[in-house]
Amino acid sequence: MRLLYIVKKEFLQLFRDKVLLFILFWAFSGMIYTSGSGLSLEVKNFPIIIYDMSNSSESREIISKFRKPYFKILAYVNSDKELTQWLDSGKASMAIVIPPDFKRKLDKGNGKIQIILDGTMSMSATIASSYVSTILYDYSIDFLERYKGIDKKFFKMIPLIDEEIRIEFNPNTLSSWFMSTLELFNVITMVSLLLTSAALIREKEYGTIEQLLVTPVRTWEIFIAKIIPTIVVIMVLSFISIFVMLKIVFGVPIRGNLLLFYPVMIFYVFAMSSLGIVIATIAKNLSQAVMLMLVILTPMLMLSGAWTPPESMYPIMQYLSLISPMRYFIDFGYSVLFKGGGFEYVWQDILGIIVIGLVLFFISLYRFRSNFHK
Amino acid sequence: MFDRIKAIVKKETIEILRDPLYLTLNLFVPVVILILIGYGLVLDVKNIPIAFLDYDKSKLSREYVDSYVNSEYFRFYSFINNYKEAEELIQSGKCRAIIIIPPEFSRNLYKGKPAEVQILIDGSFPSRAETIKGYAFAINYQFNQKLLTHFSEKNRIFINFPIDAEIRAWYNPALESKNFIVPGMLVITLMFYPVLVASLIIVREKEAGGIFNFYSSPVKPWEVIFGKAIPYIILSFITYIFLFLISVLLFETKFIGSFLLLTLATILYLICTIGVGILISTLAKTQITAMLMAFLGTITPSFLYSGFLTPVTSMGFEGQIMSKFITVTYFIDVVRGVYLKGLGFTYYLPNLLSLFIYALIVYGLSIILFRKKVG
Repeated sequence: MRLLYIVKKEFLQLFRDKVLLFILFWAFSGMIYTSGSGLSLEVKNFPIIIYDMSNSSESREIISKFRKPYFKILAYVNSDKELTQWLDSGKASMAIVIPPDFKRKLDKGNGKIQIILDGTMSMSATIASSYVSTILYDYSIDFLERYKGIDKKFFKMIPLIDEEIRIEFNPNTLSSWFMSTLELFNVITMVSLLLTSAALIREKEYGTIEQLLVTPVRTWEIFIAKIIPTIVVIMVLSFISIFVMLKIVFGVPIRGNLLLFYPVMIFYVFAMSSLGIVIATIAKNLSQAVMLMLVILTPMLMLSGAWTPPESMYPIMQYLSLISPMRYFIDFGYSVLFKGGGFEYVWQDILGIIVIGLVLFFISLYRFRSNFHK
Repeated sequence: MFDRIKAIVKKETIEILRDPLYLTLNLFVPVVILILIGYGLVLDVKNIPIAFLDYDKSKLSREYVDSYVNSEYFRFYSFINNYKEAEELIQSGKCRAIIIIPPEFSRNLYKGKPAEVQILIDGSFPSRAETIKGYAFAINYQFNQKLLTHFSEKNRIFINFPIDAEIRAWYNPALESKNFIVPGMLVITLMFYPVLVASLIIVREKEAGGIFNFYSSPVKPWEVIFGKAIPYIILSFITYIFLFLISVLLFETKFIGSFLLLTLATILYLICTIGVGILISTLAKTQITAMLMAFLGTITPSFLYSGFLTPVTSMGFEGQIMSKFITVTYFIDVVRGVYLKGLGFTYYLPNLLSLFIYALIVYGLSIILFRKKVG
């Protein structure tokens, strides 16, 4: 009963701050919308320039294959110097150089063109170069067919391996599905840590925590009362996120069982909130806490496995990532929401979240008790 | 006038120095972040676990399998026996790709007929899936070329693919992601860290009531803003020196540009990022709000919309709009340019000018907002 009153007080404090509520709502709607619709991980409109020394109908034909949505031709250049300038200034990310003897060599069957990539963005450069190979391969077949009089059927009669690629769960590799879901996980992680920690620090800075401690309220009741509003807020807002933003706006096919997703998510929020309380007991003021949260949150968000899969990390980072609850949550979240994986696929992730959550819970309880002992 | 600024600078400096834990954290946290993410964030897609469902089990199919296993991109996981296992491996995330070789694979190829293999790719991470697709295509292409040469020799007909591309990457020839992540991380760390630090410096006094001392004193709003900004600009400049040394000495990132140019540009950049923090601080009424705004507004956006991971040109409309608000967008090209391209000052002028305007807007808004409250 007492607990109920303190929880009520926490909610009142939270709802009094209208700006805060707006920011929270924005985080779960606007931020998810912009990252889903505004970001694309595939390389689109890759800015290129052309240096065509051959100036033949064949070279123009090839150039015409480099078109939207993947490539965007910015300019035709006429000298090496110009080419270097475009790449140096970073305006163009790729240059296609077609040598003067291109047509002659092509007829002989060994045409060569040169592709120069700006390697400063290695990830998009790799993807762009794979587009180039596909374009040239298609052009080769086309060329053989039209100029060498080789019938298309011929390719069905020679030993070639045709690969049929099927991408599971996200057949068109839509980044909107991936990004909006990732942003939801990011926001859940940040809010659950920040909100709880800040609420406790505020009481510490104002000294109102002492007032609470002199009342008959038990320590664990204060503790729980700090976590409950965070859980409720995230539950409600993430419900809106999943059903409105992900499902309706972006059409993410939610394949999994939400009855599995929700309880684990609540436990995850609980774990992150406990971590927030640990931080609040260490820091004297919010400025210190911000620094501590920064050093925990940034690596957690960036190394969650969404950008670098655990299998590609250095071994030492692989082990380090095992202590980050977000690593399990991301894997769990994508498995359940995207792949529709049942309990048998994600039990290890759930176990990870529970173990880390319990450890954090006991540490935070211990720290809380020794910090605010009556 | 300058005496008043000096006094505020002194007061702020004393406040920073009085809190040793805070000061240590300030110098320690950005360094830890750079080291962890510099080592941890690997965007080269390598060692992708791959499994094979080989119905053919012939010498040729084995050769095909080897062409994947021997490449540096894939790591052999296992041979499997049926389709259900394949689905399960992808479902559980143990394998990112499965190659299915049909029973008549070698028979068809020996007869001179085409054969078809099926490749399943885990699409839950789209950019990785695209890269895997590209690798699979390239390996298949090479294998085909081998088959074709063999076939042409045997049947004395001449066919080969008439066109070939020589692909070269400038500035970062091996396309190592380290060379673009570490300078990028330097820029990003110098975004969210100063913003977070500065986001509390005014709102803190609003909550504690100390702000009324300013309101009732003859000090002008712009003197307060700059007086408070300067110590934090100096503090984050020290951080920059640390981060730079780590990037060059520990990560051995390619650095061929001018250190002086980078340093001067960084000072302008830090003025901007501290300014963003101060603007948040004048906007927010409570510390919690300021902190949430700073965290949510900088950490993920500076990674996502700045051109750090994906070029701004590939973004959708909303993303391009977002990128204009983020300081990193204007500075990341400068830093990558200095580190990897080593260009002269003139190449960076447009970006530096944008940063200058950005600073004017941010400080102008802060001063106006602060003045309103005074009145």
